[in-house]
Amino acid sequence: MQSTFSSLEAGKRSLLAHTQGMATLGHNLSNASTEGYSRQRVELKPTDPLYIPGLNRANTPGQIGQGVDVQSISRVRDELLESRIVSRANGQGYWEARDKYILMLEQVHNEPSENSVRTLLDKFWESWQELSLYPAEISHRKAVLERGNALMEGIHGRYNSLSEIREMAELEIQVTVERVNRLTSDIASLNEQIVKVKAMGDNPNDLLDRRDLLVKELSGLVNITVDTRDGDEYTIHTEGLHLVQGKVVTPLGLEIDINNDGFSKIIWQNRNEEADIKGGRLGALVQLRDGDIREEIQNLDLMSVHLIDLVNEIHTKGYGLNGETGQPFFVEYPFVVNRLGNYDGDGDGAFDSTYIFRVNGVNTLNPEDHLGIAGTMRIPGKTGLIEIPYYPTDTVKDVINRINNSGAEVGARLNTEGKLSLKATPSFQKENPDFVIRHLEDSGEFLAGYAGVLASSGEEGSFSWNEPDAILSFRGGEQSFQVAPLAHPSGWIEVNKTLLNNPAALAAGFGINGRPANAGDGNAALAIAGVRNQEVMIGFSKTFDQYFADSVASVGLKGETAARALETENLILKDLEDLRQSISGVNIDEELAQMIKFQHGYAAASRFITEVNKMLDTIINRMGV
Amino acid sequence: MKRISTDMSNQDMQYHMRLREYRMNDLQNKMGEQKRIQRLRDDPIGAARAVQLESKIGRAQQFYKNVETVQGNLRIAETYLRSAVEIVQRVRELAVQGANDTYTKQDKQFMAEEINQLLNELVEIGNARLPDGSTIFSGDRIQTIPFRTLSGRVEGASSEVITQVDYIGSLARNEAEISEQSFIETSLPGGSILWAEQQQIFGERDATNFQVLEDASLFIDGKEIPLLAGDNISAVVAKINDAGLAVRANLDPVKNSLVLSSTVPHQLWVEDASGGTVLQDLGIITGHGKPPHNLSKEAVVSGGSIFDMVIYLRNALYKGDTVEIGGGALKGLDNGISNLLTSLTKLGAQDERLTTVANRIDYELPELQNQYAQETGLDLTSAIMELKMLEYTHKAALQTAARILPPTLLDYLR
Repeated sequence: MQSTFSSLEAGKRSLLAHTQGMATLGHNLSNASTEGYSRQRVELKPTDPLYIPGLNRANTPGQIGQGVDVQSISRVRDELLESRIVSRANGQGYWEARDKYILMLEQVHNEPSENSVRTLLDKFWESWQELSLYPAEISHRKAVLERGNALMEGIHGRYNSLSEIREMAELEIQVTVERVNRLTSDIASLNEQIVKVKAMGDNPNDLLDRRDLLVKELSGLVNITVDTRDGDEYTIHTEGLHLVQGKVVTPLGLEIDINNDGFSKIIWQNRNEEADIKGGRLGALVQLRDGDIREEIQNLDLMSVHLIDLVNEIHTKGYGLNGETGQPFFVEYPFVVNRLGNYDGDGDGAFDSTYIFRVNGVNTLNPEDHLGIAGTMRIPGKTGLIEIPYYPTDTVKDVINRINNSGAEVGARLNTEGKLSLKATPSFQKENPDFVIRHLEDSGEFLAGYAGVLASSGEEGSFSWNEPDAILSFRGGEQSFQVAPLAHPSGWIEVNKTLLNNPAALAAGFGINGRPANAGDGNAALAIAGVRNQEVMIGFSKTFDQYFADSVASVGLKGETAARALETENLILKDLEDLRQSISGVNIDEELAQMIKFQHGYAAASRFITEVNKMLDTIINRMGV
Repeated sequence: MKRISTDMSNQDMQYHMRLREYRMNDLQNKMGEQKRIQRLRDDPIGAARAVQLESKIGRAQQFYKNVETVQGNLRIAETYLRSAVEIVQRVRELAVQGANDTYTKQDKQFMAEEINQLLNELVEIGNARLPDGSTIFSGDRIQTIPFRTLSGRVEGASSEVITQVDYIGSLARNEAEISEQSFIETSLPGGSILWAEQQQIFGERDATNFQVLEDASLFIDGKEIPLLAGDNISAVVAKINDAGLAVRANLDPVKNSLVLSSTVPHQLWVEDASGGTVLQDLGIITGHGKPPHNLSKEAVVSGGSIFDMVIYLRNALYKGDTVEIGGGALKGLDNGISNLLTSLTKLGAQDERLTTVANRIDYELPELQNQYAQETGLDLTSAIMELKMLEYTHKAALQTAARILPPTLLDYLR
């Protein structure tokens, strides 16, 4: 037997359901332009009909429908698409950061133009050429010093710009780590709320939308994977370790790294271990700061160190107009004031390492001579030692080329006196200092008796930097080696003040047999001008010209790659976003059409209630009266 | 993807508009600066090439300047040397005349007077200067005159005349770079150019048992010759001869002493490197002073400059001594003239070489500049075309967006 007022119930339910529909629709319309919003749909289902088979079933034909109920309000979205977007956002974050910084690095080069470090260096060499033609002139000496100063300013300017870029990267890393921590804690609190809401049986749609948006932003910052297998615990992993697990967060932290010029490294705060972030914006920034930008600075330092070394080697042997000799052209600041290069690395009060930049052999060699001896040299490479063999049929030039092409962090050349000169390059690993020779060993006699670098061959005669007084392994005396320069020569490189104050002390000639050079002797100036074209081995580039071309090309190629990759990532992400919009985006016309539907449904429901009311009115007010 | 959300059309339009505007801005900047490579990433390899080309162009221009300077200086030197040749040829004429016994002593004295004047002129030429004030023939001592004169009385002369001309310049060689790693000699030492006879230094000490005691070096004509401990005199002689200098060493057959002779007329400059005593021990030099005034009193030196020849001739004419005139003096003058002519030929050859280099650079520079322009210059025509296309597309896109974005269902619902 059905209740009298059951139809009213049905009508009421319809009104409520349609109102719900309108409300959700209104919500959709309001959020049509909200980022990350997925349109929500009201799922209507018919109310449980009567009568379910049971003992209290009324004896009427059934089942009688009871109206409409709102089953759920759910988001329209594709979960798989969302996870694809999350993983691609990672790539976009990475390349976006990289593109921005590499563009800055390219601009620092300021090429091809007339205002770059390269053109200043060209003008510097030209002024030496002019001096070689007019060695008695003070005015030409002043020109050399002026051009030298301009070059110093250029190099300092570039060094400062690069340092600023590195600082900027550092600041951004700090800010990004903070942002990551904030995002993860927001996600964790959302997780907590979502779990509670779900426990009540509801769909926390807006919370889920918000969480998805936060997760997408997070994936642009670090490379993450999302794990939703456990319904209660929404887990985010990065590099195999938990970042967020339900409502528990493992925050990242920063710690100053003394090995890395005082910049910070990223650590897991509660575990105090280094966090190795590889992807996303944060990964890109770390790679830029410790890789690309650091390499650019090292490159500039390399050029400065060689400039100082090569010009000073010649200038100290020359005589000025006033008969002075032994003046370096560029000031040299050694890393340690100790003449033997001894240094206390761990601060315990005792010397424990030797910092040597260059060592020369004692014997004059001829590049075309055949060696006649065999052996293997062990020289430091990027990671560990590299073995370089030599054979009796090799010429001296062959062995030198082999050392330079082996990827070792030591460059070899024959200097102006024909002696073998070994110079350290910047080091790849942060822990090792730049411009320090870490190891020299030769199983045969090439480095020992032939070139006269080491005192003896084999392991006992080897030179290692991590012991004090290691210079005793060298065959030559104090004149044959050079202590490592203070860090970042491009920051402190300067023209000798003595020369600036007294241009007459600038050397142009070599003189003969220890006598000061005559006024017309321009041989030293000519030799310095010739440094420009000689194969002086700046890292892997043979001449200064090649060095500039190489550095321009390498930065340009990095920039080209970054620009292309970013464009590709942008396009892919846009396609995915478009797909997502197509599924989850709000279409206003569609919503408005839905609105008409609900309006009519609501109007119909009210009409129905009115009619039922009239029917009831007949029974209540007019039956049996 | 059949369903289009409202936002998507909007976002799509914005995305493409941004891309176009970026492209247009990029082109505008490039056109403004006429550069194809504005950022290194636009063409990294091209930028590397451009950078190398630019440096090469700068170098070529500097080399051209060097060539011009050196050529100018050498041409000035050439004119002076030509005058010198004329003077010495006139002196020779007078010498031939004077050798003739038919002239009286008075006549000979007149001839001597003329030669005296020519001598003064010759000394002036020897001490000539370049426009910037540096002396031409003093090697690298360009702020001092190369030939110093001493005056005195000579038998037969009526007043004080020049009695001695010493060369106080240097023999050092100076070079200028006129092309990549290619040098040309720029110094003209008077001790070589204005020399007449081969110079010889005869040591007087017996060198049979001589041995070098410890590693030392010799400096001959400014070049270092290293000697090792244990070298005997033959080794020393061999090393000097192999040094590639215009100097020959040998042992005197009678006295077994070291003899150094020049193979091209010039003044020999010999000294020990500081700390060594080899030449001192062989009796060639004293241990003090610098060349050429460090020769030992024991050593016998012969061979003189053109000035020495002219002075010798003039003094003979003053005295009226015919025999002296006809013999050695004439030969000396002939040697001097031929040496001067050799120098002139060398200068001519150098001038030719410089002209060739200048022509080559003249040809090379525009080529390099052309390459550079190709590498970095913007092709204005295609840039303008592209800009026009972008403008057109931009306008079309904006117009279309204006038509489809605004209308929604709302406009049509009552």
